[in-house]
Amino acid sequence: MSFQIDMIFAIILFAIGLYGITTKADFLKIFFSLEMLLNAVILILASSAYHFGMTQNLAIAYIIIVIATLEAAAGVLIFLLANRITHEVIPDRLDEGGKYDDK
Amino acid sequence: MVSFLLLTAVIILAVISITVKRTVPAVLSFAILMFLLGLYYIGYGEKLLGLFQIFVYTGGIVVLMLFGVTVIGTNFPKEKGRAWAVTSIVLITIGFFIIPFILPSFNVVNNAGDIHEQVKVLTKNYAEITLFLAVVGASLLYGSIRMLHTLKHEKEIS
Repeated sequence: MSFQIDMIFAIILFAIGLYGITTKADFLKIFFSLEMLLNAVILILASSAYHFGMTQNLAIAYIIIVIATLEAAAGVLIFLLANRITHEVIPDRLDEGGKYDDK
Repeated sequence: MVSFLLLTAVIILAVISITVKRTVPAVLSFAILMFLLGLYYIGYGEKLLGLFQIFVYTGGIVVLMLFGVTVIGTNFPKEKGRAWAVTSIVLITIGFFIIPFILPSFNVVNNAGDIHEQVKVLTKNYAEITLFLAVVGASLLYGSIRMLHTLKHEKEIS
């Protein structure tokens, strides 16, 4: 497969992630979307490493995976603790306190 | 052809994991998505990256998400319609789609180098990578502590 096709797939994945981040109110799907954004970038880096011999791009891809792991761990931790303190499940309204009313 | 099918399946699973309402199918499709991406990298000859992807995402992050769901529960609100978001995403995506067709031509190698070469690149830049990760880790730690402090302060006020 050519680099252009890889890039088109990566852009589609990036768009899906962007859509999830901006429209979803569920913390799980927001995390999924974040990971999709990062994986779109990793896909472009890996593809360019393969097609053009840019091995240094793989080093950046490894760093991105490590940062994604850190971000997921810290994000889940923050959300769990914030949920215990405010009893709120919507990330957008964590600062308001109070439970979500589904009516 | 296999690569094309793998990437198509990745896109379909990404849509499923974002749009499906039930939590466990969403997590499962996300796990399979990451596994297929790892297979795709292995197919490119980037075995270290592929295995890293499978172990970290399918093994680590998915379990972390499941743990979070078991603690908080799945009583999440419905999706809010945000026309501005969808419009801007469509515009951004169309803008990005132009990039693959205006790229300058590079020398095509079709070889990412073996694992020894990849590890050599990592060890060569060891100091910079360590410094970068230290800065990221410190920022995350500072952000976590700061946010908890703010939340506790707000709770005491209310």
